[in-house]
Amino acid sequence: SCSRAKDVTMPAKVPVNFFSTRSPVIDLFRGQLDYADQLRQDSEIVLYFFYAPWCGQSIAAREEIEHVASRLSDQVLFLAVNCWWNQGKCRKQKHFFYFPVIHLYHRSFGPIEYKGPMSAVYIEKFVRRVMTPLLYISSRSKLLDFLSNYEPGVVGFFEFNASPQPPGYLTFFTSALHSLKKDYLGTIRFGVVTDKRVAEEISLVHSGSVYLHRHANTSLIYPKDIMNFTAENICKWALENREMLIRWLRPHGGKSLLLNNELKKGPALLIFIPYNPLAELHPLLDEITKVALEYHKCNKSQAAEPDLQHLGDSDSPAFDSSLTDAHLKFSETFPIAKYPCCNTVVLPQWHSISRTHNICELCVNQTLGVKPNKVHVPHCNFLEIEAALDSFYLQEHTFFQVISNTIECSNFLSFYSPFSYYTACCRTVNRHFLSFISSEKTIFQTPKVAFSSHGKKDNTQFSIPHIEDRNCFIRDLNISSMNITGLSCTTNKTLNLYLLDSNLFWIYAERLGASKSTHLKEFAAIVDLKEEVHYVLDQNQSLVGPTLENFIKNFSVLYSPLKRHLVDDPSVHFHEQRVVTEVTTNTFHETVFLSAKNVLLLYYAQWCGFCASLNHIFIQLARLLPPDSFTVARIDVTRNDLPWEFMTDRLPTILFFPHQRKEQSVKFPEDFSVNLSNLLKFILHHSSLSSSEPCTKECLHKESVLQQGHISHLEREIRKLRSEISALHQAHDQLEAQLSEARREEQRLQQQKHTLEKQHKTLQLHSEQLQATYDQKNQELLEMAEKLQELADASENLLKENALLRILVAARGGKLQSKDEIKEPLQSEQTLSEDNDTSLSAATAASEEKRIDNIDTIETEHSSGNRTE
Amino acid sequence: AAMQRFLGPLLCLWALRLPAGTGAAARGLDVASYRERVRAMFYHAYEHYLESAFPYDELRPLTCDGQDTWGSFSLTLIDALDTLLILGNVSEFQRVVNVLQEGVDFDIDVNASVFETNIRVVGGLLSAHLLSRKAGVEVEAGWPCSGPLLRMAEEAARKLLPAFQTPTGMPYGTVNLLHGVNPGETPVTCTAGIGTFIVEFATLSHLTGDPVFEDVARKALKALWKNRSDIGLVGNHIDVITAKWVAQDAGIGAGVDSYFEYLVKGAILLQDKELMSMFLEYNKAIKNYTKFDDWYLWVQMYKGTVSMPVFQSLEAYWPGLQSLIGDVDNAMRTFLNYYTVWKQFGGLPEFYNIPQGYTVDKREGYPLRPELIESAMYLYRATRDPTLLELGRDAVESIEKISKVDCGFATIKDLRDHRLDNRMESFFLAETVKYLYLLFDPDNFIHNDGSDFDVVVTPYGECVLNAGGYIFNTEAHPIDPAALHCCRKRKEEQWEVEDLMREFYSRKKTKKFTLKRPPDHDEEENAKDPEDASSEKAGWKRNSKKSSHSLLSCPSQSFNSKLAVLGQVFLDNT
Repeated sequence: SCSRAKDVTMPAKVPVNFFSTRSPVIDLFRGQLDYADQLRQDSEIVLYFFYAPWCGQSIAAREEIEHVASRLSDQVLFLAVNCWWNQGKCRKQKHFFYFPVIHLYHRSFGPIEYKGPMSAVYIEKFVRRVMTPLLYISSRSKLLDFLSNYEPGVVGFFEFNASPQPPGYLTFFTSALHSLKKDYLGTIRFGVVTDKRVAEEISLVHSGSVYLHRHANTSLIYPKDIMNFTAENICKWALENREMLIRWLRPHGGKSLLLNNELKKGPALLIFIPYNPLAELHPLLDEITKVALEYHKCNKSQAAEPDLQHLGDSDSPAFDSSLTDAHLKFSETFPIAKYPCCNTVVLPQWHSISRTHNICELCVNQTLGVKPNKVHVPHCNFLEIEAALDSFYLQEHTFFQVISNTIECSNFLSFYSPFSYYTACCRTVNRHFLSFISSEKTIFQTPKVAFSSHGKKDNTQFSIPHIEDRNCFIRDLNISSMNITGLSCTTNKTLNLYLLDSNLFWIYAERLGASKSTHLKEFAAIVDLKEEVHYVLDQNQSLVGPTLENFIKNFSVLYSPLKRHLVDDPSVHFHEQRVVTEVTTNTFHETVFLSAKNVLLLYYAQWCGFCASLNHIFIQLARLLPPDSFTVARIDVTRNDLPWEFMTDRLPTILFFPHQRKEQSVKFPEDFSVNLSNLLKFILHHSSLSSSEPCTKECLHKESVLQQGHISHLEREIRKLRSEISALHQAHDQLEAQLSEARREEQRLQQQKHTLEKQHKTLQLHSEQLQATYDQKNQELLEMAEKLQELADASENLLKENALLRILVAARGGKLQSKDEIKEPLQSEQTLSEDNDTSLSAATAASEEKRIDNIDTIETEHSSGNRTE
Repeated sequence: AAMQRFLGPLLCLWALRLPAGTGAAARGLDVASYRERVRAMFYHAYEHYLESAFPYDELRPLTCDGQDTWGSFSLTLIDALDTLLILGNVSEFQRVVNVLQEGVDFDIDVNASVFETNIRVVGGLLSAHLLSRKAGVEVEAGWPCSGPLLRMAEEAARKLLPAFQTPTGMPYGTVNLLHGVNPGETPVTCTAGIGTFIVEFATLSHLTGDPVFEDVARKALKALWKNRSDIGLVGNHIDVITAKWVAQDAGIGAGVDSYFEYLVKGAILLQDKELMSMFLEYNKAIKNYTKFDDWYLWVQMYKGTVSMPVFQSLEAYWPGLQSLIGDVDNAMRTFLNYYTVWKQFGGLPEFYNIPQGYTVDKREGYPLRPELIESAMYLYRATRDPTLLELGRDAVESIEKISKVDCGFATIKDLRDHRLDNRMESFFLAETVKYLYLLFDPDNFIHNDGSDFDVVVTPYGECVLNAGGYIFNTEAHPIDPAALHCCRKRKEEQWEVEDLMREFYSRKKTKKFTLKRPPDHDEEENAKDPEDASSEKAGWKRNSKKSSHSLLSCPSQSFNSKLAVLGQVFLDNT
């Protein structure tokens, strides 16, 4: 607003080379788009790199483009265009919202915008896809290869006979290019078959038919009769009908709802693997694909049954694992009804239960708690009930506990299938007096009981196990031979499977708890956004098919053995010297619950302004409290997850865990201001230090410890006071110095004032004198004026006299011509009086000027005097 | 300044623009090298200022000379002082402290902006005063409660006090440093010019013990609060005599911005619930009326109708402010919107028309403002999202490529063609460079999370200082909140603490310890001591009767925030 700057401006600097001159990329740094379009005519494949020289992303992508160009420059023309330079053609014609923009052209087809990661391998892969959008499939084995890929494949069959190109081929070719526009990650692959025999493999007979391969669902043939055979339509059809068993997630870096949309669909398994799109082989990816295929293989009646019969033939004992496999498959093939089925089983003599009971009603239930009901239920098929029996026998030990004379019912987990439960109600038939009324009584719930898959008796645990105990249980389950075929359809916790390239998106893995130290960037986690939990695959296990399968299985069972993963901040190290102890997920239990101290715990986050401004209060508190009985601790809950019961929804939150009553933690009331005295009162109020019991020896010891602490506290206080005193002394000295300085200053000012006053007086005197002289002069002047007036009057009189005289003279002259000599002396007298007049006026002016000067000096001296005062 | 109005359809659903890939993000930025480039930027500008412009306020980079802009205080030097320390240049800091003590005079016949003088001069001197011990300046015994820089800050602030002598308590916009408010001075002041004092003035009051500063600042804040519209919004300019709104555009940007900022920062600094509750009320109205698809528009303050569908460069501080109170998800979403504008131009135009996706006539400049970078720094603290470092990278590249000239860094006059103007505002060194450096220097002492601290013995007792939690004033001058608890009225509290400590060591309690309600709660429930509160099921779900949480707290982050990086945003987080 008040800028006094001249209107100097400077135009933008003239652009210079962005790529080096030796680069295979042609750099049109003046934005010569017209020239670029000319160059394009000669090339089949062209890549445009539109950049702005100031743009960080363009600068970062420059290297990547150069790298790709160095590999493909013989087949592809690389054109970089400065699309910012405001005098360039490009800027005038194109309007971009971001840089760089990469456009590809396949002859006249284009532009195909590349929106994938700005990484050389990905760009190169995409360019290669544009170069050969269609893969030529020459043989049966190549076809199998092509179809077995996890990414959807579209195959067109075109017979190349006499005519140069069969009808529709060009459309198909264009649709392949077209798909790259829509699907910039290039997930749908396009292939072409020219051999009739190969085409028959996928039951394509007519030239010009297009086939979309799907693994879990039936494959499709493009419905020419319903949709026009255009490139757009084929592409759209393929995109709509493709199967996404497992998807790559590639966030583009801008604002996006990708993860939000995907994770809101339900629990998701995120698999992080390092991925090189250019690599020929992806063994790990193949393995994961296999798992995904199995997982989604729901409609497998044709496939599974032959296996089953084959396995059923082998006359294996009940504990044979292969047979159990078969059972599972079988029971899944025939969709398990929602109602239970029951059979009466006569127990063999050797069974331990038969000592008291000899007939059991065995029901297969899908969910726990469905009661056996003989009347309404159909009988089970043989295999199912046999499977149930197996499980039943295996768990005979559970019945040891419940032997009685009544009908005993028990629910137990199927050994084979995690989702079905069996109910066994046993009675002894010859005891007729027992009523059936109590048959619905559920005595024991088994799901949490650990049992070994090998039928070993496990009599140790019947109470509800701890989580740690459940871990042991997991180990056992992990080696169970259950497989995951079709699991996605049978569980109600269906997982969506996703892949992420850990070269690009490892940060998400780190966020989910992947350790930063691992050099192998492989990681898998199940994220359930709705439940706000996630589970991770133990990073000590290598990420291979079986571990992944187990991970999925463990997630799918009703009482999942998976434990919510708590992300821990690894960067915090335990410092004994720290005044305020920093707690992490891993040290939480130890610091808060196991320590024999009172613990004051602050939940905070580094970004929360209200927390950070309390730092100094907690430091002071920690320095004040005796460290041998109090811990002041804090936990950054943004970086450290805690079990649900210890979570808090607001920050800061202050909790106090009194010694000996750690479970009775108290929260610092939120409506009190957090300051030292309030915190101390809060602690005092809740701490267990003050027990009013009669004193024992131990108590005396405590007392002495306490007093010791008190003494050291007082000593600290004394030291503090001493330093305070010294500070006070210093301040005092300083003040003293300042005071004396001020006094001196005052004196000086006083003196100055005096001198100024003196000067003032003299000046006043001076001015009075001047006034006097002025008056005097004035007086003189007046007198002078009077005199002058008199003189003037006199001269006038003289003149009059003169005139009179002249007249007289003239009169007389006529008469007396001889009297001429008298005139001359009178004239000289007149000139003399005029001179006198001018010199007088000059004198008055000079004296006036002098007066003004004097007043000026007085005034300036006055003001300077004021200022120094 | 009269704002231009933009009629025309408002495209609420702003398409998510796809910026190009993440390759660089994945490989990770070379943070250290960018940090060094920022340091070089600072010295290029700073040295040319000293050489060609000092003792003028600002450097004119195209003509290589200086000019006075906001007064005649060697403004750039005052403003850049604490940046020197953040860059670790202790010796230059010490030299400049001496230069300022000798060279700066506030007894000058200059009409100065009350607002600018406060944030740049008072704020700069206060932060330099509080940091001077850390910078190795030999401080006097009463520090931080006395010191030459503090005295200078106080003197400057006293020169501003006459502006507050109005019927409403809201200050004039301009004051003559020698003669006070000029006769005939316009009574119209912008909202930010009224509500941007509490951080500096409360600090001054706490340090010097003179309550007058905090009092006038509070009175002005309350006057604004009283004059908000029925729908809870404030306009752009108000007459401080009649309390009539002169410009009725409500928004979060120019003319209003730091008012909201100081409500939050004041609440944090002073642990003040009243200020926070004011902000939260405003925040509600702002969300209701001005927020569209994570943009904030300008609306009529009484009707709530959109008056300008415009994003202003100055508004970019908002995400940073949101992150301070824990609204990180919304902050990130808005930040990503703003970042797209940067990507389009290599800077933020003063005004950006959102539906048209382009700059606004006469408002195409970018004077190297810090706001977006400031937000990036705050958000990086909260999320560690590499996207934020990318903004830092883009800012360094842009500023170096576009605005660097032989004598410094020049304001970009027009972002459409990157024409330069002959000006380098003092906030470039005070804020832009500082926030950039802090973004690339996660271990800087300013980011201290409380693991380090200093103990200082003052005549008022022992103080814990420099424990982090610095509050930046709106000119990026950090204030140590702990210093406010160090001077004057501390003795009483200290004695109370002493008594309490004695109680700790006595085996039997002699007194019952109950927390006293803060005075403003007295009427509603006075007899409620924590005795009953804790006896009823001590533990986590205590006393849910009063469900309202403390105003001075942040919500914990939701589960999905773990994955909200690299541009990913999640909907309906509550």
